[in-house]
Amino acid sequence: MTSTAPTYPTVVPTQPPALLLDGITKTYRSKAGSVDALRGVTYHFAQGSFTAVMGPSGSGKSTLLQCAAGLDQPTTGTVVLGGTTLSGLNEVALTKLRRNEMGFVFQAYNLLPSLTVYDNVALPLRLTGRRPSRGDVHRVLDQVGLQDKAKRRPAELSGGQQQRVAIARALITRPSVFFADEPTGALDSGTSRQILSLLREATERAGQTVVMVTHDPVAAAYAERVLFLSDGLIAGHLDRGTPAQIAAAMSSLER
Amino acid sequence: MFYLSRQTVSRHRSLYAGSFIALAVGVFLLGLAATATAATIAYSGPVARSITVTTLGGRDLEPRQVRVPLSDADVSGLQTVLSLVGTISGFITIFVIASTFAFAVASRRREIGLLRLIGATPSQVRRMVLGEVLVVALAASLTGAVLAQLATPLLLSKASYTELAPVKLEPASPWVPLAIAVGIGLVVAMLGARSAARRAGRVGPVDALREAALEPPRIGPVRITFGVLFLAGFITLLALIRPSTGEGVTPLAMFTPMLLVIALTLLAPVVVPWVGRLWALPLIAWTRVSGRLAQSNVVAAPRRSASLAAPILAISAIAGSMVLSLSFAADSAEATIRDTLRAPIVVEGFADLGEVPGVTAVDAGIPLQLIRISSDDAELEDAEGIDPAVASRTRDLTAISGDISRLTGNTVAVSKEMAGFDSYQVGDEIPVTFTDRSATKLRVVAVVKDAQGVNPSILIPLDLVRRHAPTAQPERIFVDGVDLTTLNEHLSGTTAHAVPAAEWEAEQAEGVREGNRLGLILLLGPAALYSAIAIANTLLMGSLQRRHEFITSRLLGATPAQIRRMVLWESGLVGAVALSLGTAITLTVGILIRHAMNSGLTDVPMTVPWAVLTGIAGICLTLAVGSALAPTTYILRRSQPSAAVD
Repeated sequence: MTSTAPTYPTVVPTQPPALLLDGITKTYRSKAGSVDALRGVTYHFAQGSFTAVMGPSGSGKSTLLQCAAGLDQPTTGTVVLGGTTLSGLNEVALTKLRRNEMGFVFQAYNLLPSLTVYDNVALPLRLTGRRPSRGDVHRVLDQVGLQDKAKRRPAELSGGQQQRVAIARALITRPSVFFADEPTGALDSGTSRQILSLLREATERAGQTVVMVTHDPVAAAYAERVLFLSDGLIAGHLDRGTPAQIAAAMSSLER
Repeated sequence: MFYLSRQTVSRHRSLYAGSFIALAVGVFLLGLAATATAATIAYSGPVARSITVTTLGGRDLEPRQVRVPLSDADVSGLQTVLSLVGTISGFITIFVIASTFAFAVASRRREIGLLRLIGATPSQVRRMVLGEVLVVALAASLTGAVLAQLATPLLLSKASYTELAPVKLEPASPWVPLAIAVGIGLVVAMLGARSAARRAGRVGPVDALREAALEPPRIGPVRITFGVLFLAGFITLLALIRPSTGEGVTPLAMFTPMLLVIALTLLAPVVVPWVGRLWALPLIAWTRVSGRLAQSNVVAAPRRSASLAAPILAISAIAGSMVLSLSFAADSAEATIRDTLRAPIVVEGFADLGEVPGVTAVDAGIPLQLIRISSDDAELEDAEGIDPAVASRTRDLTAISGDISRLTGNTVAVSKEMAGFDSYQVGDEIPVTFTDRSATKLRVVAVVKDAQGVNPSILIPLDLVRRHAPTAQPERIFVDGVDLTTLNEHLSGTTAHAVPAAEWEAEQAEGVREGNRLGLILLLGPAALYSAIAIANTLLMGSLQRRHEFITSRLLGATPAQIRRMVLWESGLVGAVALSLGTAITLTVGILIRHAMNSGLTDVPMTVPWAVLTGIAGICLTLAVGSALAPTTYILRRSQPSAAVD
């Protein structure tokens, strides 16, 4: 690790990690040859932690997120989420785990255009077969500050509002882990601040774990820890860094 | 999930408008066929105009009562046509629904991936898509049924007093037939949407994160298996087209191409790019950029190209095969008539020719109808009473087995086709009932060559006809030994007139073709209308989907004309691929059927209805290109390149 990115000894967690990656590798094969996107990543995400994953383009950060969330199968290695090993699960079991334990927030707001805000937020509950209570839906909409927009459709909302709906939708099932991929990538700085505060609130208030992939040092500074990825390996981390420190660490990685 | 389905459909109204129209028209045609069939079933002619007989029964067959309507109250011709119309409509509907829903699913890949991401299981996604189909299918089927009910009186008034139904038809109770049509519509829609739903279930959550909308070109083993199975079925049916096929030619000409169409559609993601590459070679040589772009678009998105090609392939193959087969059937009939008739002159009408000087043969056979009873059915058949001594001089009555000169008393000669169908042999006895209600048994004395147009399938002694139908008269007389002018002088003042045999033969052949034309219009008219909607529908949807791509190309510096040219070549290419496959099917079926029908005939004329065939191809191509270009032009006019940045 370079001098601009001070490292701290990893704290041995006192409780089981919310998310455990053990020796994850991922190789993409195609006619043109094979590409190693991840080359052995081992990491424990502690419960209630807010971790940002950063790295240059092609460093494997999106692949890491997808493997961790069970959206993609690692070539080797295991992922354990809240005590459940992902590799042994079939598609249906994985889906059920995903809807109960994971929340997703992505750059493209990923709302269903045909549903109202209320219905979008209630959808994960409907998918589990539960009847969403009005109170629950309004509570999370309240939490993201959109209680008056319940009847709107996504197209009638601004980008930041849509992203807040996505967060509300992720909050409603009270997942143990949030996966966020560039959640502020398409937003202005003021709106970004709201979104990141919401994510941080989730870790502080409900002990939920957030794993966020970003390339924006300002966004990464909201996390307790920034994990740097380079060439498919963890290249180091930085705890409670300022945007400037994080940017410096990044540019040294890219050099 | 049904709640979600309803929401999605109302949101993606334009995406489903095509499916809705296609299914509504399909159910409309089905419903019309059903209500009209109901009217024919409900029709009960005067009791006096029918005869009830008991079938023979046999091993595992109970004898049963059959009410056989006499010719002037027979509506079975219309029933046959209606059932064929229903079959074709149902078949094409499955096709169209399958391709429109495949489209709808493919274009919503990201949305479906998102559902999976937030916790929908594959089976929930499948159910959602099926739910969408159900919403659309219910609305469309009901609309189609209402339209069918409104149009039924019109159809019945048009169909009444025609060759197919020479009676007055009244609308029957519509509930059962329309319920059947709606039911078929729903089932057909579900069948058509099944593969789309399954494919939707296979969309992974990670697809929500991907920008690329191109589908993987792989096709599943199940699809390949079924494709190969249908191919095998096609080959089996081809093998059935033999010289003995006879009247089975029309259904075979219809069902054989259907099987290959299904096979090729299942295998289309493999076949279409391959044929597309071939067709693109001259295109690439001729144009600079647009041809090459068109080729890559067709080859790189095999699923999309396959969906676009499917309806064109279906209608061109089915219509082409039927048109060609029926034309060849008429050719073969013409040659048969020519070969069978030996007399040089034919008198049309009836006149007494006994006193005409020089006449050596007057073959005045009398037509009549009789009910032939077999083990499981009884049918009204055309027969002719002949004098075997005279008739074997004026026409070819060569016996394949037995002896035609023994046709006296209660005896019968049957055609080879009928003998083959009901396995009659010389010496067998056929129970018949004459229209004067007297029943008897006729002993088979000979099996003669088929000669439709000259000899009916059943020949009986002239005396027998005179006894059971004393008032019946000949309709045409074959004459030998006198010249035409003398004969016509003798006939002046009567309604009859004499013509040379060649002229009469040509008239008969033209009559066959005329009948074919009517059948084709009835059978293919609705199917063609429907396919036109389908072709336009899929291409419209396909082009509207590509708004973003077109705008991006504009941003990259492509002129609107270049993009239009690309779309022109692309849709032309897809059309050409589909039409070349359709042509291959048409040729295969046509050649085999011709070969089967012409065995034993020489110098058969060959009439290829070029105008109709090229017309079908031209309309398909025009529709394909037109319905791709129109939305492209619309998109290009409506949006500036800057829209790509939004």
